[in-house]
Amino acid sequence: MASASSLAASLNPGTPPDTGSRAELSEIDASARWPVIVFLLSALAWLLIGTVFAIISSIKLHTPEFLGGYEWLTFGRARTAHLNAVVYGWSTNIAFAVAFWLMARLSRARLRHAGLLVIAACFWNLGVTLGVIGILAGDSTSIEWLEMPPYATPLLFVAYALVGVWAVITFRFRRTEHIYVSQWYLLAALFWFPWLYSIAQIMLIFEPARGTVQALVNWWFAHNVLGLWFTPIGLAAAYYFIPKVLGKPIHSYYLSVLGFWSLAIFYNWAGVHHLIGGPVPAWVISAGVAASLMMVIPVVVTGINHHLTMVGSFGALRYSPTLRFVVFGAVNYTLVSLTGSAMAIRSVNEITHFTHFTVGHAHQGMYAFFTMVMFGSVYYILPRILLKEWPSASLIRTHFWAVAIGVTLYWVDLEIGGWIQGLQMNNPGIPFIEVVRNTMPYLFVRSLAGILMTIGHVAFAVNIVWMLGARRPAGATAPTLFHNPPAVPAR
Amino acid sequence: MEWIFYTLAFLIATAISGTAVYALYWSSQHGQLRDFERGATSIFDDQEPVGRMTDHFPVPRRKS
Repeated sequence: MASASSLAASLNPGTPPDTGSRAELSEIDASARWPVIVFLLSALAWLLIGTVFAIISSIKLHTPEFLGGYEWLTFGRARTAHLNAVVYGWSTNIAFAVAFWLMARLSRARLRHAGLLVIAACFWNLGVTLGVIGILAGDSTSIEWLEMPPYATPLLFVAYALVGVWAVITFRFRRTEHIYVSQWYLLAALFWFPWLYSIAQIMLIFEPARGTVQALVNWWFAHNVLGLWFTPIGLAAAYYFIPKVLGKPIHSYYLSVLGFWSLAIFYNWAGVHHLIGGPVPAWVISAGVAASLMMVIPVVVTGINHHLTMVGSFGALRYSPTLRFVVFGAVNYTLVSLTGSAMAIRSVNEITHFTHFTVGHAHQGMYAFFTMVMFGSVYYILPRILLKEWPSASLIRTHFWAVAIGVTLYWVDLEIGGWIQGLQMNNPGIPFIEVVRNTMPYLFVRSLAGILMTIGHVAFAVNIVWMLGARRPAGATAPTLFHNPPAVPAR
Repeated sequence: MEWIFYTLAFLIATAISGTAVYALYWSSQHGQLRDFERGATSIFDDQEPVGRMTDHFPVPRRKS
């Protein structure tokens, strides 16, 4: 852990950043151990808490009397608690854990000032806990994706400031000449997220903009959290783990660089497509629609690149847990992004807006893409920082199949149900209550999918806790732990 | 008054794209956009070389 004087030295622009040599991989992994474990365990706890709220909200939609006697578990609160627990609790904590390890590895430098990150983890989780309790108590701000009450958010600011400082220091002390594409994605995410979050807090909560500008800022923020925070972290992991696991460089590095820069320049404008049909100047919406369609470029480029890297190596999916999860996520990135661009077209949006289609789409993005890539990353990182193997291959397989089938069922079901719902809502001949009744079978299937995903999460949690408690085998060395790897065909 | 907020929102969005454009300029000035072949292999080294898979399902430890 770093002392105060070395933190001051790291921040001092006079300190030459290019001293010392490239660190060994094992040394880097060991230096990242504590911050990664703290953020990972926090993320895991929030994943389980978020799942409970998800199941409650899902059941309430088709069986409204379920837990109907508790005002703190009414749909509006339980669903919001779910969103905040999984977005700020699970997803952001795990994004931090993966980003720290990746940044240290890609910079080929030991992770400095681990203590700073552990303090940040305490602030972040205290903030999220306070926020979720506030939501359940009825203090939600009612602004989508920013529902946490104002007394919780300053803690998140403090946490993020510490992470931001750390990211700048790590980048400055990198030992590599070339900035790999994953590093660009991570830097962009770590740099833009606080910007988005602070502007949105100021313009919506502390000094609210008036009128429709509120909605505009709200959706600029909410969509950019996906596109400029979770997407870059997910893609950074995919661009590192797919080639790294296969032992094969990315098919076209040129395309990966093109994909990054086009995402960086277009994505920021796409969010306002959520307001199609709303009382916002038409040119603002048109700019959002245009940017959403421009996103086809980075998406197709990334999809082609990942696919061509995998061609000839699909057999490896049988042997590597990381690759399975990450490739599943990468395929869903392409699908969900193309669906998203299509949903920004006005005539499509007329049908999908205000329906379950959007809910299915959101889960395909945040779960089938982002969360699956994060699961895969954890399967790679944890053995290396703990110097232990995963205790159970069966639990990994259970985890994969339960969540892969669960989330696919989830989004396919809600997109079909939502599309039908949209068509029926646009038909003035069908009474509204009938449209609601027609969604019921889809909502039941959604709960079923949720139960499958819960089984997967429990398998994941059991495997992690088991691994933490297991004894480290004598003579274990990083980075390659596997004492008896099965023969893997070259093709 | 509404237009002040629209202008502000527009400027903030432009500034974010501005940082992306600046970073692109920086990377071109610092040679990051040259020699893509080498860039792609920068994550491999002697310890984890090209051609070696680095992840497998755990297999039961043989008693020795």
